[in-house]
Amino acid sequence: MSGDCAPVDEIAPPAPDPGRMGSERLSRLRNQMRAQGVDGAVLMHGPHVTYATGHVPGAVDAGHANHRRAVAIVSASDGPARLHAHDPAGVEARPPLWPELDDGAASVGEAIADVLGEVTGCRVAVDGMTGAMARAGVLDGAELVDASRVLVPARVVKTEDELACIDQSQRHTERAMEAAQAACVPGSARTEVAGAFLAALQDADPESGPSYRNGTAATSAAYQNGIDPIFQPMPTRRDGGIRTSTGHVAFPTGVDNPVYAEGDLVWVDSGVGYHGYMSDFGRTWVVGRAPTAAEQSLFDRWVAVLEASLAAVRPGATLGDVGRAARAVEPHDTPWLPHFYLAHGVGLESAEMPMIGTDLGPAFDDAYVLEPGMVLVFEPVTWTDGVGGYRAEEIVAVTDDGWRLLGGGHHYEPFRS
Amino acid sequence: MSNDLVLARRDRVLDAMALASIDALVLGRQDNAGYACGMRRLWTAGTRPFGAGCIVVASTQRVHALSSWEAGIESPMTFDDLYPLTWNPRIMAASMASVDGLTRAGRIGVDELTPSFRRAAANFAPRAEIVPADDLMARIRRHKLPGEVEAIASACAAAWVGVEAALDAAGGTDPAASAIRALAGAGVTVPSSGVRAERHGAELAVDVGVICDLYEGGVGGVFAGGRRAGASALPDACRAGATHAELSAAAATGDWLVRGLGMGFEQPVIGPGVGAGERLEAGMVLSVTNGHRRDVVHVTADGPAVLSQRP
Repeated sequence: MSGDCAPVDEIAPPAPDPGRMGSERLSRLRNQMRAQGVDGAVLMHGPHVTYATGHVPGAVDAGHANHRRAVAIVSASDGPARLHAHDPAGVEARPPLWPELDDGAASVGEAIADVLGEVTGCRVAVDGMTGAMARAGVLDGAELVDASRVLVPARVVKTEDELACIDQSQRHTERAMEAAQAACVPGSARTEVAGAFLAALQDADPESGPSYRNGTAATSAAYQNGIDPIFQPMPTRRDGGIRTSTGHVAFPTGVDNPVYAEGDLVWVDSGVGYHGYMSDFGRTWVVGRAPTAAEQSLFDRWVAVLEASLAAVRPGATLGDVGRAARAVEPHDTPWLPHFYLAHGVGLESAEMPMIGTDLGPAFDDAYVLEPGMVLVFEPVTWTDGVGGYRAEEIVAVTDDGWRLLGGGHHYEPFRS
Repeated sequence: MSNDLVLARRDRVLDAMALASIDALVLGRQDNAGYACGMRRLWTAGTRPFGAGCIVVASTQRVHALSSWEAGIESPMTFDDLYPLTWNPRIMAASMASVDGLTRAGRIGVDELTPSFRRAAANFAPRAEIVPADDLMARIRRHKLPGEVEAIASACAAAWVGVEAALDAAGGTDPAASAIRALAGAGVTVPSSGVRAERHGAELAVDVGVICDLYEGGVGGVFAGGRRAGASALPDACRAGATHAELSAAAATGDWLVRGLGMGFEQPVIGPGVGAGERLEAGMVLSVTNGHRRDVVHVTADGPAVLSQRP
């Protein structure tokens, strides 16, 4: 059968079922609310609203997102989640609310009362209270808890549809990165490379025609860029760049518009949402020439760290087990950036739990057990002072007996793998 | 960005804190933090959970920001005014406790409230009363400094780069992709509202909202034969003293919005069902949407000045 011989990236990945994804998410959220004695949730942070209702807010600047917030209200008992949204984009929604404004806060209180009833004495999860809501006494009398207490455990194990969304988003990002890599040549500037990437995201979006994808979503299924894409030329010495408090290099700074010179090691990072689920593409490129033997050696060490880490990934293993496997390959130097991690989760946000090797400390990592459906984005960094560093990212989902790659399995050129 | 503008904004914040008897501000909103400290950061889309992105202390007159490196910072802030990124709430609380003057604060203003921040503040500033200060920041930002008006006009000119590219895009190609590519070529990759461009027969509906050097610019409209359609009655009505009723009458469509524009979407917000009690004031800069048409207008003592003129 010819299908057996098809390369991995030519096999059509499973498409997500948004209806099933929505009902499974709401059920997981309610299970957490009931288990923790939370009577209701009032959610205004975009990823939280998406998790509860399926509505994906437009990928606009934070100032716009705050003022045109969607609001989701969820009762721990049955019934649909209530959504108020400015741009519902195909999802059933009530009229928009203005929780930032003093003349809009009372309507927020009325919507909450409509769904949750009298809140005095109730335990209500919130992800933020605006000043206007506080001045209007919205949720006065309720016991408020952080929404992350119910949403983090609900979100950490992904459904098959959530995994399919991350997989699709990663494949779309990989395709658009081809154009960016071709544009990253001596004399080009970061914004030119970013422009090639962003335009390719737009050109290659199969979901709809010309539309609002770099801003307001035409539909929740459109691809939306979520991060000003990073193509940062790195110093070859730890102390060769701007000053940091970590003793290592600064990344990603996200400012300035460098022009590339031949031989620059460019660290790439990006994130694109599909149904709100973020991709995370990281690579190291060499501008205008093949890698030197010393640079290739950085890559070979990076592969060794990745492979050792993945060999430790299985249900029942702890984050600490995986971190120790990575460190064993590079015993003299922690093989990741000290302000980040060896690996982080990804989903409706670019970096979420579980995170391996953060400053939460070894006790946190040793107490955290991997389960099927968790997602890990590995981003080790190997470094030789004077040569520079190699950094790339790979996304895997924990399966019943190990892990599987999400995305199409993008190449590492110009490095030889 | 001019250092004078950074200093002028910081002084406005410190003056407003003094008037409101607020000893320290903890700002989580990206735009408020940018206003107070001038720091440029990696742009990410959408809302973000409240955290201490920037701290302003009245007793020391110093501004501090969350960052592990000195990229993007503006004088007078220095490397020593930064506190590092962390995933660990205990480390964060220790960083906050070491910000000079914060632990002694009697009243701490915040631009959003969360249960966890209240809990943390009880440790690093045990005597402090936590009060909403989103309104303090909104009041300052309603009226723009001359340097801010210039920055917004520059950002509007940049937005036109995208509009012109969308208009020039060949038939059969995506005008939004052309706009995005041209904006990037001009050094602009950060959206405010983003790029929207759709062809309807011979017409092109386009709206571009971008951020340059922390300030927003935008313009929108339906173009036919390279010219923008639609009346300018609503921008013309943006005079000091204008009421909701007057703006609504000038709009003459159900789909209109007059809202503050500067470092993002800000106050006032006046439109169908919102802002009934607002009146326009000299010094405001407004994004004025009427149907598909959008202009950016500076309300001056002499009347409206359109900042989004085609360059």
